[in-house]
Amino acid sequence: MNKDFRGEGLPAINQTVDERVLVEAAQKDVRRFADLYELYFYRVYAYVSTRVKNREESEDITSEVFHRALIKIKTFEWRDVPFSAWLFRIAANSIVDHWRKIRHQENASASDLENAQVSDADIERQAAIFQLVESLPEDQRQVVHLRFVEQKTIREIAQQIRRSEGAVKQLQFRALKKLRTQMEGADA
Amino acid sequence: MPKHSLAEQLDTLIDSVIAAPRGQSLSGENNELIPFVPVARVLHNLPRPDFKQILKSDLLRMEPMKDDAAVPTPTHVRPSFVRPGFNNIAPYIVVDGATDFIAFLQAAFEGAERIRMPRPDGKVMHAQVDIGNSAVEVGDVSAEHPARPCTVHLYAGSADQTYALALKAGATSIYPVADQPWGDRQGCVKDEFGNVWYIAMPNGWDPGPEGVRNIQPFLHLRNASSMIPFLQEAFEAEVLGMAKSDEGELLHSTVKIGVGTVEINEAHGDAQPMPSYLHVYVPDVDDLYGRALKAGAQSVESPSTKPYGERSAAVRDPFGNTWYLATYLEGAKK
Repeated sequence: MNKDFRGEGLPAINQTVDERVLVEAAQKDVRRFADLYELYFYRVYAYVSTRVKNREESEDITSEVFHRALIKIKTFEWRDVPFSAWLFRIAANSIVDHWRKIRHQENASASDLENAQVSDADIERQAAIFQLVESLPEDQRQVVHLRFVEQKTIREIAQQIRRSEGAVKQLQFRALKKLRTQMEGADA
Repeated sequence: MPKHSLAEQLDTLIDSVIAAPRGQSLSGENNELIPFVPVARVLHNLPRPDFKQILKSDLLRMEPMKDDAAVPTPTHVRPSFVRPGFNNIAPYIVVDGATDFIAFLQAAFEGAERIRMPRPDGKVMHAQVDIGNSAVEVGDVSAEHPARPCTVHLYAGSADQTYALALKAGATSIYPVADQPWGDRQGCVKDEFGNVWYIAMPNGWDPGPEGVRNIQPFLHLRNASSMIPFLQEAFEAEVLGMAKSDEGELLHSTVKIGVGTVEINEAHGDAQPMPSYLHVYVPDVDDLYGRALKAGAQSVESPSTKPYGERSAAVRDPFGNTWYLATYLEGAKK
């Protein structure tokens, strides 16, 4: 993983957290899988969402990835690749399965996906932004979710949260400015 | 042409990104806005706010079934999810003047201060006052937490004596102690901080060897009957008793969550909704947090492990009450 693209909110791997310790703990006691989930959720989601069309598919496939990983965690063996590579392999297979099932693209394969033009740095950057949204002030976070997830207009959001349209635009501006600034800080 | 502010121009840019997230139709933008484009494109893929926690909750529910032989059930590994000495759903009462309020609890209800953690400004950050076998938690107001009075059903050894002490300590009578048709001797007061106290004792019924919980939060709600299925779905609540009018209005219900109980009825007369903070110990915070979100609660604080040996989270129910969910982790080590 390229640490240059890690935002403040995204837990570092192999730095503040010992990935290997977490994996071995989860292999001994599957309840500890929750720690791995926290570390990798946004990275897996980012990996998936850059390769499929919409949020619903991204969420379905991300769910599939973690369910598969939980079932298979005891079979994971260290082979000089990061644990994330194992998760991304499961993700790639899950995406291909999804394509075959939904779109009947029988010729798709996991290796095609891994050749896609999405770098590790892009995954880290996107995961960091997702994580940083969690740390925004409540009102800014709410506006970001309503605008981007529910795709409501400024007017609709203003009515829902009982603020003026100008105030909602300012909240949106401040939220994106903060995300941009933090990402630029991480990039520096 | 009027000049649009940067915030307005950004909103127009976001419209373009939402319409064509991977499109190239963003040329001609103000140079100041160009750095926002990649952020907006990423946010277009943002997962739903509850998705991460709901999936985690699903995974946590799944894992014991996959590994029954190796993983003991929660009751084996966690004999006590409740902090010792905590036997009720505690009202978390935020007041302006916590020190005076604690003095009131001591004078009126023989409260015993167990914990007091000061803020740097000398105000009370967190305190716990035990009343009989139950706890009340107290904190001073802050910018983040404005005053939140609560309605509380307080069982006392003598309703008459406790009612008199409450008035002496500064409370105002709402109605005097009298034998009530439902089998309690009960009066009601309002303290100087806005909290309403139903002061009662069993009258003609036997609470059994376990006795009563001395403190139960009492929620007066509009459309109160809809709270019951919410609590069942969100917190696996057990309905201990329920009475409805012929019209279907909830006259009274006692609901058990974790080891504590809360009472609910339809708001009426002076008994109006007072959205409250409630602190409840549950077997598995992560599980119930996920369930609560699925049931329609809003997240206030996602689950995290606290330095004082608890895992906790907070959600807001559809009636505006905030539930602080906690699991005492030390119990699992014993």
